[in-house]
Amino acid sequence: MDHDRDRSDSRQRIVVTGLGLVTPLGVGKDEFSRRLFEGVCAIDTVKSFDTSAVSSHLGAEVRDFTPRDFISVKNLRRMDKTSLMTAASARMALDDAGVTINAENRDRIGILLGTSFGATDVTVQVADALMGEGPSSVNPILVPNTVMNAPAGHASIELGFRGVNITVTHFAVSAETAIAYAVSEIKRGAADFMLAGGVDILSKFYYESMTKFHGLSPDKDGQEGARPFDRLRNGYVAGEGCGILCLESLSSARNRGARIYCEITGSGMGSSPTLPTEWPKDMGGILRTFRRALNNAGVAPGDITAVMASANGDRVLDAVEARAYGELFDACAQKPYVTSVKGSLGESFSSGGIRACALALSVEKGWLPPTVGLSNPLAPMNFVMGQKKDIDVKHAVLAGISFGGTYVYLVFSDCKSQ
Amino acid sequence: MNSKKRIVITGLGTINAIGNDVAQFAASLREGVCGISEIDLFDTTGFRTRKGGQIRNFNPRESIPREFSLKRMTRADQLALAATIEALTDAGLYPLPESFKEDMGVVIGGGSGGLFEAETFYAELIAKGLDRSRFSRLSTVYCASSADRIASNLGLLGPKTTLMTACSSGANALGYARDLIQSGQAGIMLAGAVDPMCRITYAAFNALKAVDEDVCRPFDRNRSGLSLGEAAAILVLESLESALARNATIYGEILGYGVSCDSFHMTAPDEKASGAVRSMRAALKDSGLSTEDIDYINAHGTATPANDSTETRAIKEVFGPRAYSIPVSSTKSMHAHPLDAAGALEAVVSLLALSYGFIPPTIHFKERDPECDLDYVTEGARAADLRHVLSNSFAFGGNNTTVVFGKYEGQGAVHGS
Repeated sequence: MDHDRDRSDSRQRIVVTGLGLVTPLGVGKDEFSRRLFEGVCAIDTVKSFDTSAVSSHLGAEVRDFTPRDFISVKNLRRMDKTSLMTAASARMALDDAGVTINAENRDRIGILLGTSFGATDVTVQVADALMGEGPSSVNPILVPNTVMNAPAGHASIELGFRGVNITVTHFAVSAETAIAYAVSEIKRGAADFMLAGGVDILSKFYYESMTKFHGLSPDKDGQEGARPFDRLRNGYVAGEGCGILCLESLSSARNRGARIYCEITGSGMGSSPTLPTEWPKDMGGILRTFRRALNNAGVAPGDITAVMASANGDRVLDAVEARAYGELFDACAQKPYVTSVKGSLGESFSSGGIRACALALSVEKGWLPPTVGLSNPLAPMNFVMGQKKDIDVKHAVLAGISFGGTYVYLVFSDCKSQ
Repeated sequence: MNSKKRIVITGLGTINAIGNDVAQFAASLREGVCGISEIDLFDTTGFRTRKGGQIRNFNPRESIPREFSLKRMTRADQLALAATIEALTDAGLYPLPESFKEDMGVVIGGGSGGLFEAETFYAELIAKGLDRSRFSRLSTVYCASSADRIASNLGLLGPKTTLMTACSSGANALGYARDLIQSGQAGIMLAGAVDPMCRITYAAFNALKAVDEDVCRPFDRNRSGLSLGEAAAILVLESLESALARNATIYGEILGYGVSCDSFHMTAPDEKASGAVRSMRAALKDSGLSTEDIDYINAHGTATPANDSTETRAIKEVFGPRAYSIPVSSTKSMHAHPLDAAGALEAVVSLLALSYGFIPPTIHFKERDPECDLDYVTEGARAADLRHVLSNSFAFGGNNTTVVFGKYEGQGAVHGS
């Protein structure tokens, strides 16, 4: 009767065994991986809506995604864009892990999804109806999709898993938090398999709002573009997409003979007093949270091979992040490599899911993707520039930093040799 | 399980339709006060319904100390901060000593956040256009803003996040906060939820025809929907060790937490009640208790035709014949349904019931439904010595969460004794 509780073991090792992706670099792990490590830039002029009213025009859009390749006809019409991307990514992650949902395992498979802004396209449709035509014109079919937990709910209905189902919505660290939480759910025995990651989409209103907050790189003197860690950076380019990991315990993966990408050996969470919508100006929160994650994983700064940074081209964020790593690795003889994929994928806020997939691939393949858009580094660091770096990745760190002062760091480790 | 730290609650704070603080809320729960009436937070012309469980007489400047600026704070952020200050004060942690900040964090179950203010902005945007609208007013529209405001104002440096599983958000926030303390990621955690009323939510529930035009009647044969409410509810969680070390007064213990998903329909519960059954069983298992140990069930009890019969069926499946001898009540009949804050508010209800030895009633009950045949405590509050309370929260998206609370018996100071 107590078999679930017997599975609770905080010393359980948690590994990544599946990846699912719907991104501007491509749909599915293979296409994504090929273009990521080739250093392809997915940023282009936005085509899915009109940007002529605002001062930015670039974006990293998902373009070759055909939902009906992944979603049943029955559910297709009920689902919004965030839900379609999520359910498709979840299906790919389970397929990649070789997990088939059945009556025996469905209650032990769950999802922890991060979304920073949810279905902004649907929310605006509801607001337009309510404000423009009055309460009676609100279409009830749209209502469930305005709620942040809709994508995870739709994914569970489409795929049939009935375990833990939770949505995290805390700005730019939503997906990193979801992954840390999912690891904790397997360790406490609440699930055997967890799908974990994040989704965010571009929509006209959302994009226009971003320009009004002066976050986006503006179209001025031909300077619009994403340049993480570059001296000439002037803001980020908006992106979208979904990335989902399939997580399970190491013993479960070994028993199944599953391919293991990497182990998630530690996590740290933290805060620092920061104004709403502003990136932290001091590095205290990064230092504290980074150290917590390393302590949790039982590794030292000198053990870290690479950092997948949060930097997106914002003037404040990139500077504070670079300064923090300078301090953290100051005493290390061999400085870790630092890279950011947001020069290629843009900033999608719940990017942590996609970036976690990228880092899992990096550990598995021994390649680090280049920081697209970086040519004049703001500080002397081991940035991966120009092309991918071939290197044996022992321990790597996924950085999650949010405006408003929230931090999540995750440690991904190679477990091939063990 | 036994090697894990025991987690206790040492502070409560709330603002809702029947209480602007915990003391008033406790008195209202015992007296069976109805907080549902015509709302005036916004104009209800054109809506099918007019009523709701609105917070009345909330004066942020009275509830929030002057050291905190209210500038650009939405109603959601103000309610959350006010409940936080009450909870910290209750726990003997306000002003917050510097030494606690490093390991102290916050998990909030997010609701509509600053949507109420965003609606005004959006109406203006439609009228004036992009370039003449002040987008800075959207800076705190998202529900994650409340946790940011709490942490930044108090100087917290520990874990911070916002969970959103619709009507079970508040219950999940408690569960995750417990886990963060147990796994050593945090010392003391603030956990709870806030969900203020707004036009979009009101319109959405009107569109779904899920709202009773009068007052909600949980478990009644003629029930026809919920009453929308609003609330902030914040709890202070810490390890028993920590509570004893600082001589804190204890309300009770979080013994178990279980989550499941229907995987059935976005807005309707699975008629077989499988999701609700699984979340209750998971919480019981997590707590190490058996069905014999539960003395009171604080039901989700929204008063929609589907929820109440499904929940009743689920309780009977989990508890078997004993279901008929366990008091089950829906306090939503009094404070209405504050959506994403419901799980946290009903955690406060559960802890007050445990501490002060009473079972709050289900009010507005008139006629028995053959499908709802349990003891719903319809005659008024009952005195009862409770040891274990189970609280259900079910949600859109098919998310189900159950939390089990226990009376704390042992060394140290305890509320109600």
